[in-house]
Amino acid sequence: MGFHTIKNLARAAVLAGLALATGAAQAAESLYNTPVGVTPTSHEVYGLHMMVFYWCVGIGIVVFGVMIIALFRFRKSQGAQAAQFHDSTFLEITWTIVPVIILVAMAIPAAKTLVRMADASDPDMSIKITGYQWKWQYDYLQDGFSFFSMLAKSSDEASQLHSGIDPNSVDHYLRDVDHPLVIPTGEKIRLLLTSDDVIHSWWMPDFGGKTDANPGFVNLYWIKVEEPGVYRGACAELCGRWHGFMPIVVVAKTPADYQAWVKAMKAANGKYVSPYDGSLEDNGSPVVFGATSYNDVMGSPAGAPVPAGTTVSTPVLAKPGVVTPTAAVATPSAGAWDMATAMDKGKQVYTQNCAACHMADGKGNPEMGAKAIAGSAIANGPALAHIKFVLKGKGVMPAWGNILSDADLAAVITFERNSFGNHKGDLVKPDDVKAAR
Amino acid sequence: MSHESHDNHGEHHPSGLMRWVTTTNHKDIGTLYLLFSLLMFFIGGSFAMVIRAELFKPGMQIVDPVVFNQLTTMHALIMIFGAIMPAFVGLANWMIPIMIGAPDMALPRMNNWSFWILPFAFTLLLGTLLMPGGGPAGGWTMYPPLMLQTGTAFPFVIFAVHMMGISSVMGAINIVVTILNLRAPKMTLLKMPLFVWSWFITAYLLIAVMPVLAGAVTMLLTDKYFGTSFFNAAGGGDPVMFQHIFWFFGHPEVYIMILPAFGIVSEILPTFARKPLFGYESMVYAVASIAFLSFIVWAHHMFTVGMPLAGELFFMFTTMLIAVPTGVKVFNWTATLWKGSLTFETPMLFALAFLFLFTIGGFSGVMCAIVPADFQYQDSYFVVAHFHYVLVTGAAFAIMGAVYYWLPKWTGHMYNETAGKWHFWMSTIWVNVLFFPQHFLGLAGMPRRIPDYPVQFTDLNMLSSIGGFLFGASQLIFLYVVISCIRGGAKAPAKVWEGAKGLEWHLPSPPPYHSFTTPPDAEIWAHPYRD
Repeated sequence: MGFHTIKNLARAAVLAGLALATGAAQAAESLYNTPVGVTPTSHEVYGLHMMVFYWCVGIGIVVFGVMIIALFRFRKSQGAQAAQFHDSTFLEITWTIVPVIILVAMAIPAAKTLVRMADASDPDMSIKITGYQWKWQYDYLQDGFSFFSMLAKSSDEASQLHSGIDPNSVDHYLRDVDHPLVIPTGEKIRLLLTSDDVIHSWWMPDFGGKTDANPGFVNLYWIKVEEPGVYRGACAELCGRWHGFMPIVVVAKTPADYQAWVKAMKAANGKYVSPYDGSLEDNGSPVVFGATSYNDVMGSPAGAPVPAGTTVSTPVLAKPGVVTPTAAVATPSAGAWDMATAMDKGKQVYTQNCAACHMADGKGNPEMGAKAIAGSAIANGPALAHIKFVLKGKGVMPAWGNILSDADLAAVITFERNSFGNHKGDLVKPDDVKAAR
Repeated sequence: MSHESHDNHGEHHPSGLMRWVTTTNHKDIGTLYLLFSLLMFFIGGSFAMVIRAELFKPGMQIVDPVVFNQLTTMHALIMIFGAIMPAFVGLANWMIPIMIGAPDMALPRMNNWSFWILPFAFTLLLGTLLMPGGGPAGGWTMYPPLMLQTGTAFPFVIFAVHMMGISSVMGAINIVVTILNLRAPKMTLLKMPLFVWSWFITAYLLIAVMPVLAGAVTMLLTDKYFGTSFFNAAGGGDPVMFQHIFWFFGHPEVYIMILPAFGIVSEILPTFARKPLFGYESMVYAVASIAFLSFIVWAHHMFTVGMPLAGELFFMFTTMLIAVPTGVKVFNWTATLWKGSLTFETPMLFALAFLFLFTIGGFSGVMCAIVPADFQYQDSYFVVAHFHYVLVTGAAFAIMGAVYYWLPKWTGHMYNETAGKWHFWMSTIWVNVLFFPQHFLGLAGMPRRIPDYPVQFTDLNMLSSIGGFLFGASQLIFLYVVISCIRGGAKAPAKVWEGAKGLEWHLPSPPPYHSFTTPPDAEIWAHPYRD
């Protein structure tokens, strides 16, 4: 712990004390207080938060003041004699009624804000957000493409146990992702939140709060971001091993810049276009075109439950069916599909998606319930069973059919059957995966 | 501890280990509960030390995230079901028969059972840490579908929870039956000491909600092994339904952990203020109102889960209402101090710290009730700070105060007052260094239950960890005081504290094996709160 840290600690202690004493640490708001944020909701939430806080400080000064006076004035060591009074109907009624009045004064503005927050009707656009263990999928329902967003590689490497990398040397440690969500400013955006596995929660402090993503249901939340910028948040609901490692990054652009980005995305043949500098990504998970419909996304049987009290309309541009990656990137033509390509790509997909649980050496991780792939009956058995297992998942193992493209799946299954001491020698083709779906 | 009192009949109990295994005596069982809870307090606390060590600085240094999640889950389960609740039951066992003038608990054999289930339940629970896949890692709230990803440990955790529930319900039934049947003549309900009152109401809460928890975890069990879909949308179920059921148990559970603490503070403050408790009847009604409200506020633990607007408004208003009876209690305690003749022995110090720090937890509670603001607070460190203020500086501080208050009565020895004061000041200073910064962390955007965090949260986490280590170390002083007081010390008189009233101070210290073999005369207990 160097001098710098000690100085920071001292500063933190002083500011924390100031915040307690004065009610708000204006000097370093973002480190010690809820952000004012950049949406109408976040402004109202901040106002309510400060209002209730000041009420508490005021009541605290009175109540603690009386207690402290009593502790000093009525000490036996100072010769205080105990009085023997023991009730007063007047006082009991007073200190019942007065708090009720104060609470009503808090409840009215809170209820008004809540009514406004609950009104997600008439959005300018809708984005579906799906939580996965441990990444987010953003589905642009109007524009018909979707992509995954996961922890940036630099943070991922530094956050491994005993990585030896100083988190302070990493840009935006644990607050950076490979593919940020890009949104336009000034438009009312309706977020449709759901999950593919366990419950997650999409929390953006600058947007005024969070909403849970529940598997099998869609929750609504709306945002209207006023200022262009980069905003950061995180998953707030415990979702398993890497819960602390699935941040959220949102890049808000002016409507014109946003349209330019959408256009670039559509032209990029399934590559992700960086919202920062417009560069194309060369080997991430592909952007998938042909968004899915509400019911497809839910992965539930017909008659999938619609949450009570919400008004979910089937998103526009819904195209039922399996997620199909664009040919150019994700599905090379049949001729190009050989062992070397599959193994190469498979290794990449494995590292990105499977290694977190099954480990880089394929030996699995019993602490997580992740079985070994090395020498496993599935990886050394019939290919079709292996494909089906990966597609459908089982227990802790997610159903990757919803997440990865046919080509990625074919590649990673080929890789698993021919690595870690497995020597099946067979090449799984994207069409095999398609047929097995 | 010695319970020799030779003028007493019926003291034919086995000695040595079998005395404790077969005992049906309320004091022996109370002692067992209290010692068990002390052990669990240190086990749960050691998990917290590892948690704070991992969070000392950003980056993963000590444990894998899975282990971290197991530690947070076990820390909560152990502290709630193993430390706080058994401590209160132990206090009830020891004190309720004495405070109402009874010879023992009404159902002594069941009393033995309700304690002896616990060591097995917690061996089962702690044993899961050694199983393949480790212990439960889905949080003490056990939300599905995450909880269903638990490995071998899963059914063991469920059965351990069942056993704890059975133990609690049996203990609660015993307390209700004892209070309703064994009170001294002329001790009407509204003349009972407040500790007895608060436990009377708590016992009903336990009987009402522990079966609900049992139902919830049984549904988890059948979802995992028997193909049901209570919480699985693909089968027509709903994962959020679990949260509703769980918190229908969980919120009354929160008050199960605080109402007896209210009772303790209502005993200690009048003693050291040498003045009757202010507003006895309104204190009783306030506890009853809080208990009633606890059944209609559960969804405030899940405001961001996607409830309809009407639900959010209903639960916001009912939750805010809790502040009213809670405020009444704080105001009455303050009025009890007013114009008293105060001294500051260790039990009083803990009761006063409770008064201040529980109120801070109450303030953050009111903040969390404001639903739009709770969209920020929910699942953040702000909530962690809030519930530790009410559970550590609330419930745990009250328990420690009660131990210092009654330890001379139990053992017949005075405890070491200097060491007690050291324990108090160290605990109170460091517990605030530990938990106060967590308010700021939560507001600034740090989610709870994460093993690693962005670097801007470093300073406050370090501060919190330092507070945590020193708060943990301070508890060793407590251990020392308790052990040395059991082993010896100045002889305690029957009436240990100058201002003490109530039946327990009319028995010698330590009390005879069978507390009151003939009902005490109303003359000697009078009304403890009406001079």
